Amino acid sequence: MKFGIFYEISVPRPWENDIEHTVYHRCLEQVRLADELGFHSVWAVEHHFLEEYSHCSAPELFLTACAMQTKQIRVGHGIVVCVPQFNHPIRAAERAAVLDILSDGRLEFGTGRSATWTELGGMDANPDETKETWDEYTRTIPQMWTNERYGYEGRAFRMPTRAVLPKPYQKPHPPMWVAVSSPGTEIDAAERGMGSLGLTFGGFAEQEEKVKRYRSIIRNCEPAGAFVNERVATVNFLYCHPDNETGIKTGSRLTGSFGYLAAQLLPVREVHPTRSYPNPGLLAATRQQAAQNPGEGVSAPEGVCIGNPDRLVEEIKKWEACGVDQINFLLNALETIPQEEVLESLRLFGEEVMPHFRDDQPATTSEPRELAATAAAGD
Amino acid sequence: MPINGNADPGQLTQYAPTMASLDTEALTLPDVKVLQVIYEIDDSVMAELLPPALHPTIPPTLHVIGMRADDGPLGAFTLAVVRVGCRAAVRPRGLPTRAVCTAGEAASALEQRWGFPITIGEPILRERYDRQSIEVNDGNVAVLSAQLIDPVPIGNGDLLYTAGMHIANVERDGETKPWLVQVDPEFEVSRADRGQAQIDAFDSNFWDAPDLRPVYPIVASYTTANITLPRIRYICDPLQPAISGTVAL
Repeated sequence: MKFGIFYEISVPRPWENDIEHTVYHRCLEQVRLADELGFHSVWAVEHHFLEEYSHCSAPELFLTACAMQTKQIRVGHGIVVCVPQFNHPIRAAERAAVLDILSDGRLEFGTGRSATWTELGGMDANPDETKETWDEYTRTIPQMWTNERYGYEGRAFRMPTRAVLPKPYQKPHPPMWVAVSSPGTEIDAAERGMGSLGLTFGGFAEQEEKVKRYRSIIRNCEPAGAFVNERVATVNFLYCHPDNETGIKTGSRLTGSFGYLAAQLLPVREVHPTRSYPNPGLLAATRQQAAQNPGEGVSAPEGVCIGNPDRLVEEIKKWEACGVDQINFLLNALETIPQEEVLESLRLFGEEVMPHFRDDQPATTSEPRELAATAAAGD
Repeated sequence: MPINGNADPGQLTQYAPTMASLDTEALTLPDVKVLQVIYEIDDSVMAELLPPALHPTIPPTLHVIGMRADDGPLGAFTLAVVRVGCRAAVRPRGLPTRAVCTAGEAASALEQRWGFPITIGEPILRERYDRQSIEVNDGNVAVLSAQLIDPVPIGNGDLLYTAGMHIANVERDGETKPWLVQVDPEFEVSRADRGQAQIDAFDSNFWDAPDLRPVYPIVASYTTANITLPRIRYICDPLQPAISGTVAL
């Protein structure tokens, strides 16, 4: 079991007195501590226009800062939005390669497509087409990284043959992931030989079923990249306190605030009916987690990592038994928890929970394979 | 925390009905045609359109809904409703500002039993092969003209209708005051189309939503559905956050 920290970078109103500056630098302080404590990775979302919920619109910059201030911790895009109106695939490939170089090969490359009208509408993107464009990105970006020169003519974009530079530091390229926020997306990840980067969780039974499906399908996958990245990560909240009741109560404030904020956004499915978004995705799931009143809860939902170290060990063992390889933790939302308490929670987790879990898996569990032949006109 | 509405509930009740009882039996209306046109609206007034119990969505939205029943337990009727998209705590909702319904049993039932802010009028729901539209005139002036253009079939399960929070004067514990009445109909969709949304006329003053401006089309849908209007299960104090001000009946 590996542990990561996961950033939405939630900024409370009023947006004055340098609050965004303060929140960003608090996050960086947390990342430095997580690095010292031996956390495996730090992940940052890409979101746009999501007021208070996430002010993390340029994750490549945040992650670069993380890499520059740390030594071991890996830096993960969780995720790059693979929709042309958000990121041109060439720019996504270039930026990722630079980050991989600057971090000395510590990049994890997550891919996804956004689930809100707030973002897709704001960028004038068509929700009907995001699945297709995401699919093209996942197959072409590794080609840009691994071929000296590359050209392509497709649905989302076209390019005459060019050298996309620089190339990533990791060879053949950084591990690739798929954001899994609705049921069935783990199959997309498995079929492409990519890691399953869970952004929601239902419960142990649901997760176990997902992992089983994922492991079964990935055995016969056609990898989108040059190798199979068979890993299952899930997201969770973290608040660890010596006193279980205090931990649960404070942690419930965090989960409640996060879910409450998420619910204010407009999922695609609510306003723009399309088969491309059969489920509300992240937002609905986080809403369920927030079903109890923010700040008032004293019981922790199944699997949520809030409470004392003993409870956290117990819950994480259950995730481990479900086949999860990695848990990425959200540490705060709306600055609900004071920074010093967030740092204390991290330290306590590092000292009393992490030692119960061995981190003995290689970064990728399959040998690199030849790049899958695609219709792309690579050199 | 998210932005709350700041409208005085008393000022939102110009067309609000008085509900003598909340003990409403559920009722199914068969084969209702439903046109829904969704727009983003000018955000400068989003908080003024909602009471403190509700949050505007991000971005704020307008739902124009036209319904036509050609038969059923309430007889034939046509209804036009203008709603502001919102959240009651974490729940997706819409707050109707005014509704126009053809005269008859449906108008009084919708008003008295489910708290629709009904005005009697002659809304017209038109169905063409290339478009569907809802129109409302006030005298000779078009106060609403909204359309779905170029319909294409979609899956019946692709649509999501959000529940309403209807502001109504309700007598409770010896006091009559405005409450938000949760109306969450069930839609059993048998046919669904989606198309481009277009609003050609919208008089915000008529719809009791001063300064509400539709600014950016999202999408329109047109369905045939059996609609079950529910028993009233929850009401909410419009002055309190829904998370603490909701009362189960």
